Amino acid sequence: MGRVPVLPPPSQPVLTGSPRGVARARLRGAIWAGRLAAVASRVAGRGSGASIRGQVMMRLDPKALAKLLRGRRVAMVSGTNGKTTTTHFLAAAVRASLGEDTGRLVHNADGANLHHGIASALSAQPDADVAVLETDERVVADMVRLGRPEVLVLLNFSRDQLDRHHEIKGLGRSWRNALAAAGEDGPVVVANADEPLIVWAAETAKQVVWVDTATTWTQDASLCPNCGAALVREQPDHTGATGGDWHCSACELRQPPADYRVVEGRIVDRIGQAWEPDLQVPGGFNVSNAACALAAAELMGVETATALAGMRTVTAPAGRFATMQVGRTTARLLLAKNPAGWAEALPLAQSATVVLAIDSAAADGRDVSWLWDVEYEQLAGRTVVATGPRAQDLAVRLCYAGVDVRTVPDLGEALVGHLEPVDVVATYTPFQRLRKMGGV
Amino acid sequence: MSGQDQARADQGLVDQGKGRRAEVVLVYQSLLGIYGDRGNATVLAKRLGWRGFDVVLTTVEPGEPLPDTGNVYLLGGGEDAAQISAVRALRADGGLQRAADRGAAVLAVCAGYQIIGRSFTVGAVSDAPRADDEVIEGLGLLDVTTTRGPVRAVGEILTRWSGPGSEGRSGDDQWLTGFENHGGYTVLGPEATPLATVEVGIGNCGDGTEGAVTGTVIGTYPHGPLLARNPALADHVLEIGLGEPMTPLDRPEITELRRQRLQAVRRR
Repeated sequence: MGRVPVLPPPSQPVLTGSPRGVARARLRGAIWAGRLAAVASRVAGRGSGASIRGQVMMRLDPKALAKLLRGRRVAMVSGTNGKTTTTHFLAAAVRASLGEDTGRLVHNADGANLHHGIASALSAQPDADVAVLETDERVVADMVRLGRPEVLVLLNFSRDQLDRHHEIKGLGRSWRNALAAAGEDGPVVVANADEPLIVWAAETAKQVVWVDTATTWTQDASLCPNCGAALVREQPDHTGATGGDWHCSACELRQPPADYRVVEGRIVDRIGQAWEPDLQVPGGFNVSNAACALAAAELMGVETATALAGMRTVTAPAGRFATMQVGRTTARLLLAKNPAGWAEALPLAQSATVVLAIDSAAADGRDVSWLWDVEYEQLAGRTVVATGPRAQDLAVRLCYAGVDVRTVPDLGEALVGHLEPVDVVATYTPFQRLRKMGGV
Repeated sequence: MSGQDQARADQGLVDQGKGRRAEVVLVYQSLLGIYGDRGNATVLAKRLGWRGFDVVLTTVEPGEPLPDTGNVYLLGGGEDAAQISAVRALRADGGLQRAADRGAAVLAVCAGYQIIGRSFTVGAVSDAPRADDEVIEGLGLLDVTTTRGPVRAVGEILTRWSGPGSEGRSGDDQWLTGFENHGGYTVLGPEATPLATVEVGIGNCGDGTEGAVTGTVIGTYPHGPLLARNPALADHVLEIGLGEPMTPLDRPEITELRRQRLQAVRRR
C-alpha cells in the first residue's frame, strides 16, 4: 500500500534543505542565539530553557519553525487529553524501529507543544529526520500548513480552559479547514471514531484511519457538530466496554466503522488481530491512547510487534504517573486538567490518603467552575488533602460532595507526614511544581 | 433536644424540613451545563438535605417534559448551537413558563439567562458582531434583550446585591462573587429589575448592572458554582421556591472561600 518504511536514511542533511544560503545563515544565527538564551535560562535556574530558546529563535527568524520542519518525516499528536503520553508512545514505537540509530528521532518529550516549544525541540536535533511532535490544539492548523506532516493523530475534544477557548467547536473547525486546505498534501489522520467533533474535523482529510477507543466520556458531545441537531447514542454493549455507537438525528454524520478497536482492554488491529497492550502506565484511557499511537506507528512504517515493544518501555511520560520521594513521603503524580481528565485520573487514585492540587494560573484555566463537573463524591470515606492556590474552592466542592477534607494551601506542606504512599492528582501548574520538587 | 437532634446540630445540620418533599429541577444539563452549572443544583439539593428536607433532584433532557412539581428550576451556560436547541425544546415543552406562572423559583445563568429573555443574538464567528448575526426569540420570562457585545466579558466579577432579597444585608453578605464568560450583552426593559450593581467586571452590558429579576425569575451571568460562592443567594432562591424562610447554616469552608474570592478580586 505504498507505505514508506521508517528506516531509509535522510536524503539530505535537514538544514541544507533550505533553497537559499541567506535564509540558512539566518536560521543558523537564530539557533545559536536560542541556544545561548536557553543556557542562560538554565544557569539562572528558570527551567529547561526550551520555551525561551524557541522564543529567541523565532524572534530572530520568524520562519524558523517552517525551515526546521522541512526535510523531515513528521507525525503530530493533538487533542485535549493524553497528548503527551500518546506522543511518548509513538516516539517509543518509532525509536524501537530505529535500532542503534535513535539519533534520527526528534521528539518534544517535555510537552512544550506550542510554536516555540516545537521549534526549540527541532533546533536541538537538526540532523534527526523523523519528528514525533506533541502539538497544542491551537497550533494544529499552523503545523499542518508549515510542517506537511505525514500523520496526524486526533485523540479527543472536551471542555478545557474555557476562559481562553470559549468554545471547543471553534478548534474543531480550524482543524477541519486546515485539512481541507491541505488536500492531497495533507496528513493521513488517525482519529478517535467515538468523538463526534473529532470525526467531523477529520472528515476533510485525504485519508483517515479510525480508532474505536471505547471512550466513555460523552458529556461534551450532545449536538451534531455538522448541523446542530441532537446526537443519538445506541446502548453500550453488554460488557460496558464501549460507549455505544452514535449518529446524528438529522444529517449523515455518524460513527465511522473502525480500523482499530479497543475491546475489553486489548487492541484489535486492522486485520482483526488482538494485542495485549501490557503497558507500564495505568488506566483504560492509556490503552485507547496506545491504540491511536499503534495506528500512527503502522502508518510510519513500524511493525506492530516492534511498536508495542517500544510502547511498553514508556513509564512516566513528562512526569505523568511518576512516583517520587519528597522527604519521607512517597507520592505518585497524576495530571488532570479538565472534567474528562479528572474522570480518568480519580479512579486511579486508590491510596488511603489522596492529595488534590488545584490552581487557576493561565495554564490551568482561570475559571475553576469545572470542579463542579467532577464526581468528587467517589472520594467519600477517604482522607483527602486539598492544596494549591484554589484549595478553598475545592474544599467547598468537597463539603458539598460529603467528603471530609483537610485544607493545606502550601503544596510542600501538603506532602509532609504521610506514612503510606499517596496519590496526588494535580492541575497543570501544581503538577509541574511537584515534578520539580520530586525531580521527576 | 433529643440525642439525634443534638448529633445533627453538631454536624451543622438543622431540622427544618422534617422529611417534607422539595424538588430541584436541573434543566437540559447536556446543552446548558458547560461551566459546571450542575453545581448550583448540587448546592441547593445539599442545603435542603442539611435542613432535613426530603430532596428530589430531577434532571430533564430535551424531549422529556419538565415536571410541574418543582420548587426550583435551574438553567446554565452553553455554546450558541446548544442555546438555540434548548430554547426550541423549552418553548415546545412549555413547562418552564408554567413553573414561573405558579411562582416556582427559576434561576437561569449565562446562556440560560439569555434564552429566558425576549431575544438573543448568535453569529457564525465568535467574539465579533456581524451583519449576518441571527436574532433568536427567547422565552420572554424576563424583560431583557441580548445582542453581541464589542468585547467578550471574561473574568472574576464582584457585584453588590441590590434586587429583591438583598434588603437588610450588610458586610460581606451583600456581595455576590463569581466568574463571568459571555459574548452577549444584555439590556433590561422596564419590567425587569437588576439583580445587582457591578463593582468589578462587566455584568449585563457594562452599564453597571448585573442580572435581572421579575417576580420569582432570576437571570444572572456569573456561571457554574455561583450558589457555591454565594450561600445567601442560594437560600434566597430556596425561600422563593419553598415559600418559607431558610434556617441559617454555618459552613466555615464557605465563609473562608468568600473571604478569599473577595480579597482576590479587590486586590486588582
